[in-house]
Amino acid sequence: MLSLILALSCGMAGGLIVAVIPQTRSRLRNLVVLIFTTAGMIFTWRVALRVFAGENVAIAGRIGELPWSINPDPLGAVFGLIAATLWLFAAVYSFGYMAEKHEQRTYYAFLLISFSVTLGVAFSGNLLVLYLFYELLTFVTYPLVIHERSSEAVKAGAKYILYNLGGASVILVAIIITYGRAGSLDFAGGPILANSLQNGLDWLLLLFIIGFGVKAAIMPLHRWLPAAMAAPTPVSALLHAVAVVYAGVYGVLRVVYSVFGHELVGRLGFGTILPFVAACTIIVGVIIAAKQDVLKRRLAYQTISHLSYILLGAFTLQPWGLAGAMLHMISYSTLKTTLFFCAGIIAEQSGATKISKMGGVGWLLPKTMAVFSIAAIGMIGILPLNTFWGKYYLMKGSVAAGMWPLALVLIVSGIINAICFIPVVVNAFRGERTRINGERGSRVTLMLAPAILLVIVALLMGLFPGFVWPGVQAVVNWFF
Amino acid sequence: MKELFGKLIMNYPYFAAAILFMIGALTVLTRSDLLKKLIGINIMESAIFLIFVAGGNIRGGVAPLLSKANSGAVYVNPLPSALMLTGIVVSVSVTAFALALIVRLHRAYGTIDLQRIAELRSEVAMDDSNHHT
Amino acid sequence: MTATIIPDLPVFVVIAPLFVAFVLPTFARRMRLVEALVILVGILGFLGALYLASLVFAQKGSPLIYSLGGWQAPWGIELKAGNLGALFLLVVTGVSLPVSLFAKGNLAQEVGGKERSARFYVLYLLLGGALAGMAVTNDLFNVFVLVEVVTLSCCGLVSARNHPRAAEAAFKYLIMATLGSTLVMGGIGFIYMITGHLNMEFAARELASIWQHSPHVVWMALSFILVGFGVKAAVFPLHVWLPDAHSTAPSPASAILSGLAVKGYLICLLKFLYNVFGSALMQEFAVDRILVLAGAVAIIAGSILALSQDELKRRLAYSTVAQVGYIVLGLGLLNRQGLAGTLFYLASHAVIKSTLFLAAGAIIAATGKKKVSELSGIGRKMPLTMAAFTIGSLGLIGLPLFSGFVGKWYLLLGSIETGKPLPTVVVIAGSILCATYLLPVIRRAYFEPAPDTTNADWQDPQDPGFSQKLALILLAAIVVLLGVVPGPLLELAKRAAAELLLLQ
Repeated sequence: MLSLILALSCGMAGGLIVAVIPQTRSRLRNLVVLIFTTAGMIFTWRVALRVFAGENVAIAGRIGELPWSINPDPLGAVFGLIAATLWLFAAVYSFGYMAEKHEQRTYYAFLLISFSVTLGVAFSGNLLVLYLFYELLTFVTYPLVIHERSSEAVKAGAKYILYNLGGASVILVAIIITYGRAGSLDFAGGPILANSLQNGLDWLLLLFIIGFGVKAAIMPLHRWLPAAMAAPTPVSALLHAVAVVYAGVYGVLRVVYSVFGHELVGRLGFGTILPFVAACTIIVGVIIAAKQDVLKRRLAYQTISHLSYILLGAFTLQPWGLAGAMLHMISYSTLKTTLFFCAGIIAEQSGATKISKMGGVGWLLPKTMAVFSIAAIGMIGILPLNTFWGKYYLMKGSVAAGMWPLALVLIVSGIINAICFIPVVVNAFRGERTRINGERGSRVTLMLAPAILLVIVALLMGLFPGFVWPGVQAVVNWFF
Repeated sequence: MKELFGKLIMNYPYFAAAILFMIGALTVLTRSDLLKKLIGINIMESAIFLIFVAGGNIRGGVAPLLSKANSGAVYVNPLPSALMLTGIVVSVSVTAFALALIVRLHRAYGTIDLQRIAELRSEVAMDDSNHHT
Repeated sequence: MTATIIPDLPVFVVIAPLFVAFVLPTFARRMRLVEALVILVGILGFLGALYLASLVFAQKGSPLIYSLGGWQAPWGIELKAGNLGALFLLVVTGVSLPVSLFAKGNLAQEVGGKERSARFYVLYLLLGGALAGMAVTNDLFNVFVLVEVVTLSCCGLVSARNHPRAAEAAFKYLIMATLGSTLVMGGIGFIYMITGHLNMEFAARELASIWQHSPHVVWMALSFILVGFGVKAAVFPLHVWLPDAHSTAPSPASAILSGLAVKGYLICLLKFLYNVFGSALMQEFAVDRILVLAGAVAIIAGSILALSQDELKRRLAYSTVAQVGYIVLGLGLLNRQGLAGTLFYLASHAVIKSTLFLAAGAIIAATGKKKVSELSGIGRKMPLTMAAFTIGSLGLIGLPLFSGFVGKWYLLLGSIETGKPLPTVVVIAGSILCATYLLPVIRRAYFEPAPDTTNADWQDPQDPGFSQKLALILLAAIVVLLGVVPGPLLELAKRAAAELLLLQ
């Protein structure tokens, strides 16, 4: 319980402290950021391990007659772990990337505050708290999206707010309907609507999916995500490849498994359509990605596609599918963050943001491109990288659910992913070979080190998948 | 038909009130002269006073003064008339306040025509913006 | 001691400000004394309201009744402090106290001179007393008188600034408002003609049994009342007077006008609709559908109009038009959750809009800039003011942990209960639109660099003085407090809703 409160408050406290440190004291600020993200990560690990061990860690109360509760279950713990761990990497990367940039104080303050809010989403024990943190997440990440202060960034910010507020409002309506029907909002103790009458539940499910689908970037609700790439790269890497979008995915998982329950969703008409919506997003997203020339936009569309991998696994309503979804959630987050980290290094050190202008970058930044290549292979989903396992179980789940075309979709998507990334790597090593080394200096080291570490982690997870299995198993056992 | 006309004639104060009300409302909404607007408001209020007083009146009723002479008679309801005294007081104070405002506007703009005032004000605003640039 | 005060408490809360208002001009030269008196009355009123509310709360619904002059109900005039009255009294006194603290700061500067600020306070107290009267009155004709007192003092407050534009706005307001109150008086006349009563309860009883005999007159009365209060409460499209009046008034007056005066009319409308006509009659004459439709149109149109305003106070004024729409829509939902949500929303909006107007007033006073587009970087210069503005904005958008959310939650609960999609969709769309017109202000204030301070045009602005800061802190704290522990106020709202809908 103490760990839980500490885990949740580390980011908030750190953010407030950073906010009062003067703009010029950047070393002190970096130290504070490092301490609080590390502490947050440690406490999150402690909470997660206790949850996996089957302990009940919870705080709860009431606002008026509305109950609130913070009560992490295995699903929340897995999400919390991913977010907390990657936050540390992103913070270190930021020390390099943001050095010499303007408004660092605002940046770090909101980065830390959104850490707390993301953990809040992960650890929420009922729909009301989930909604609270989900809505807050939009507001506290908004300053990060408009950090560049350019008119493009402001426009992107407006879109970001509009889409996400719209989604949250739809969720609010859905939550109120749920409350009216079931009289409870708690996740603990089985699906909320398990004993509810079936009429109209189709539409309620649709409302929930639309609402959370905005942050999970289900097509056609994805438009804000490519626009949000106007943010600094660490933000894109952490928030718009992992934390914020995972909040949406997490919401969908919650709806399917904690609000409705997989049995009920299976009986609903929409329950059988949803996997195919996810499949469409997978294919269309990756095809649009292959057409983009700006590297960050290509990565963004690819994010859209891969988020739907996770949703697809969830919508199969099979233990194997859910295991695949959890595995993909974990492994994809490591690799995608790496890819964004590399894109940031390339943009900073060579000035190239478009793929067509990246000829010869490989010679300038050999280590970066090596890391990028490995992560790109991971996106295709083959051994020895960890994404293979996620994909394997996703396919297994699709077949077990009797939806074998979905397995085909995954294979096709893997091929298009290859088309997406191999040209980038090949192009980078084309052109004149320069003798300049673009990877000198402490700034690049700070950016490169987290990327290399993450790739190593991904490789290890690929070779020894047993390492993450307890967490995945805990989630599957929790819901089935 | 005859019955209907009879009813109409019997209730003539209400029709007078309705006509007065419409005259007043039209004056308020269509005239741009501030003084005429104010007069319109007063006419409207008179219409409402008339409704109240007529509603309290009873044909053939006598003033509600207790005396031995009229002990079996029907009294007119005095309450609406009393209420309308309050209404008239309110209306007078509104009129006074509005007149004060009209005087102030006349001093500032030299006219009491609302459209003319709007024109003058936009000219002033334009002058201001020119001044700034 | 307390035993002798309790029966007189409802009348005391109304009389105290009125009495001081009439005494005040005799001290007009001694500004300190005037301000101290105003704040003292504010504090006493708030304590009285609090005590009254606790009494009503403890009595579980049986209201405190005070008969003026000792004459009993059908003949005498009655003041009744039930759940609804206690709730609105709390709102009136709770908001007007911080506003008078704020006014203490730079009122003389805003209205031009000490003499004028003393007169301002007279009108301010009259307004406060009349609003408190609206909360507790149980007599139809008294409603009319109180409405007129509120109207006249509001017009006076609007014209308080020594500027021809203020006089023009006040005149427009006066004409429209008098039109409204004439209609209200006509409506009262019709009700009296049918029922022969001016006491709300007796009139309601009579009306319920004999309305079938003269449905046309009932219909006339309803339409007069609806349009009359519609004009006064600025229900779109009868709002034309509001933006001018609320944006030209001095800031404390804007706060009170938008926060409380409009709410006073809405409370009166609510009393007429629920206490006199009753929910059955409302359904019979389709008033509920009219209200929902009018509210929906007001929410959407008001928000869109607010979006296009560059002047900060005008933007807030149009936002009031939209927020009035929420309350009108809520009045038409005719279920317990919806009505309780509406009452809570009314209270929450009173606090929030006052916060926003006061913060805007402090910014305008410090910088001389009125437009949103000129406020870049103001968040760094006036951190406390802008923080209060931000809290108010988030509350108005309806973020959880702020008071607006609780109101919105119950409004949505009620909307969904009606089974029609329109109110739900509009309430949701309204809060998104609200974000689109308020968030740009915050973004500009915090995330855009301030213009060059060497420019002579821009004197370095600072947070206002102590009493104004205190007012902003108090109001912002109430916004958060009501969001986190809505408990007692929400309970009052729920009981009032049950009472109004005749549920037990």
